[in-house]
Amino acid sequence: MTLVRPAPPRRAGRARTVPGRIRLLTALAVAAVLLLAGAVAMAVAHARDGLRVIGHTAGPQVVATADLYFALSDMDAQVATVLLAGQETGLGPGRQAMLALYDQRRSQADRAVLQAADLAGDDATAQATVRALLDGLGRYERLASRALVLDERAGHAAGPPSSQALAVYRQATDLMRLDLLPKAYNLTLDSGTIVRRASIAELSAMRMGGIWTGVACALALAVLLTLQIYLSRGFRRTINLSLLAATVLAAVLALGGVLVLQRETEVLTHAKEDGFDSVLALSRARAIGNTLHGDEIRYLLDPQRADTYEQVYLDKSQAVMYVPAGSLDKYQAALDSRSSGEGDFLGFFGSEASRLTLTGQRAAFEEVLRRYGEFQDNDRRMRQAAAGGSPRDAVRLALGPAFGEYDEALVELIALHRREFDSAVRDGDGALTGWDVGPPAAALAAILLILVGVRPRLAEYR
Amino acid sequence: MLTLTGNGRGIRALARILPAAALLAALPLAAGCAAGTSLLDKESLVIGVKPDQPGLGVKKDGKYTGFDVDVATYVARKLGKTARFVDAPSSAREKMLARGTVDLIFATYSITAERKTKVSFGGPYYVAHQDTLVRADDGAVAGVRDLSGRKLCQVTGSNSWRRVKEERKVAVSLVSSPSYSQCVSQLLAGEVDAVSTDDLILAGFATSSTRIVNAPFSDERYGVGIRIGDLDGCEAVNKAITEMYQDGTAKKLLQKWFAKSGLALSFTVPQFEGCG
Repeated sequence: MTLVRPAPPRRAGRARTVPGRIRLLTALAVAAVLLLAGAVAMAVAHARDGLRVIGHTAGPQVVATADLYFALSDMDAQVATVLLAGQETGLGPGRQAMLALYDQRRSQADRAVLQAADLAGDDATAQATVRALLDGLGRYERLASRALVLDERAGHAAGPPSSQALAVYRQATDLMRLDLLPKAYNLTLDSGTIVRRASIAELSAMRMGGIWTGVACALALAVLLTLQIYLSRGFRRTINLSLLAATVLAAVLALGGVLVLQRETEVLTHAKEDGFDSVLALSRARAIGNTLHGDEIRYLLDPQRADTYEQVYLDKSQAVMYVPAGSLDKYQAALDSRSSGEGDFLGFFGSEASRLTLTGQRAAFEEVLRRYGEFQDNDRRMRQAAAGGSPRDAVRLALGPAFGEYDEALVELIALHRREFDSAVRDGDGALTGWDVGPPAAALAAILLILVGVRPRLAEYR
Repeated sequence: MLTLTGNGRGIRALARILPAAALLAALPLAAGCAAGTSLLDKESLVIGVKPDQPGLGVKKDGKYTGFDVDVATYVARKLGKTARFVDAPSSAREKMLARGTVDLIFATYSITAERKTKVSFGGPYYVAHQDTLVRADDGAVAGVRDLSGRKLCQVTGSNSWRRVKEERKVAVSLVSSPSYSQCVSQLLAGEVDAVSTDDLILAGFATSSTRIVNAPFSDERYGVGIRIGDLDGCEAVNKAITEMYQDGTAKKLLQKWFAKSGLALSFTVPQFEGCG
């Protein structure tokens, strides 16, 4: 060890004298305390950023873009409904109400496109998608209003409209379903990516901040302890209280920092996984579910394409809730034979079923499953009526309340996750209160205490 | 604990602690890098394609050609990687991804809920539809329901005929065959009246003496198989596919491989499955 070796030749300098050494140790202690405060402040700043992105800016915006798909899909569904209902007034909510809903969805879509454009930032690919979406939306509106005008001129009982109106509507719905909806859906996925990346980056920065806090804390304690021992041995004094207070303060700052970081990590993870991810996945399920209803109406509206719309309906039902079945009859029979809430299934509902962790979530989810079963049951009767020569009954079933009730239950489940998300973000914000002034104030106090503790010893050499 | 007897020792003790502390801080960083196994970390990608699917993936003299191969080449280039192709037989696709013998699969790989439990899917890069191929001089078939009373080719191991006979309940008589290329020969020889499967597969077989009916009745979403859980890789693949449609490459490739068949093609980006 160094003890038995002869002392190395020392450089001439201030460090050789006793006051010089005290000054060096003091400077080191001040630097270590500043490093500690800096590390804590940096880590806390990352926690704040993470919370801001997920909780206040990008997170809510992403949820808004998820509504874009829903709004677009419902615009097309409303147009189809108006065309199907014709001059009938006893079926569904009535032409004016449906057109008002169409307008409402259109402005909802406009707002969501703006959010998406904002989220796209300087990502050229996403920006190009937003532009294409805006252009397409204009084209869609022209086609839809032409179909509606043609339909109103011709006038018909509930059922398929005139062939001219149908031909224009086909162009409109193809544009919507095959071009615009996929782009809207992909934008939502893109925005989800932005939030996922941001949360990973902030979480790892917070982890690094925690490590730096630990290292800086060890360093500060080591230097302060060394200074304490040096002073008490060299000057044969008892403990230097000022230095001790500075040491305790540094330790408290580090401990508090690590604890608040741990808390924020938990909050961010919870808000992301049980709040944001679920809201986004269920919003996608709701959007796809809405096109299910549209496909029911289009099935009645366009008999020539009925096979295609029925197949698409099955594909989307499988995406929402997957049970193995090769045809719609078999799918609906398989849903029936499933005992409620139990059994294996995949799709959006499958992922939700695998994570029932929140209070009230199970009950809300079971309600969704029950309503979904009823909606599919209603669909089966609708198709039977259509095939069995009672088209009026089929239209009545398709425009009936079954879909609305299912959608409402799903909205309730989404709201439950949304509340969890909001409260997690509020907790996170609350836990950070005071942490912007805390670290610099503690550092300042510790530095003052160090200087106060060292000053009388240095004074003995003057 | 630091036990010091002489002046200045504390400083030297501190000098010994510092590098150790720095090392401690660097450890988690190194561990974090080792854990990343995304395909984005590789310089060269091994891509599985079909060796025997005309128009999509064909191996001839050790060289692969086809729509799937061109799309895979584009995506690899967008990711900044070089690509090497290998055979991906339908039955081995999940296993090859799980074992890491391939990084990506572009092989008429339809996205299904069951497969999604074992594989992550980028894309789809194209949504194919089941359609019907008839002889060019057979003008009476305009849709799948017109097949009633006709002879439909039934390929062993394929489910496509079920969609016609069982789901749509069209009264066809089935004539079995070992493969779709055999089906097309039988169609031209008049032994069957129709072949029904994915339109891109039909387009690959199409000649001037056949006609695609263009009455699609199902969605087959051709996805990019990726090892499950590689979110970064999957998101990068989706971005590349979006760009392929935006810059017109998708249209060019679809026309290059399938325009001759008379198939109605779609040139807009498909709805992605989502990576998470």
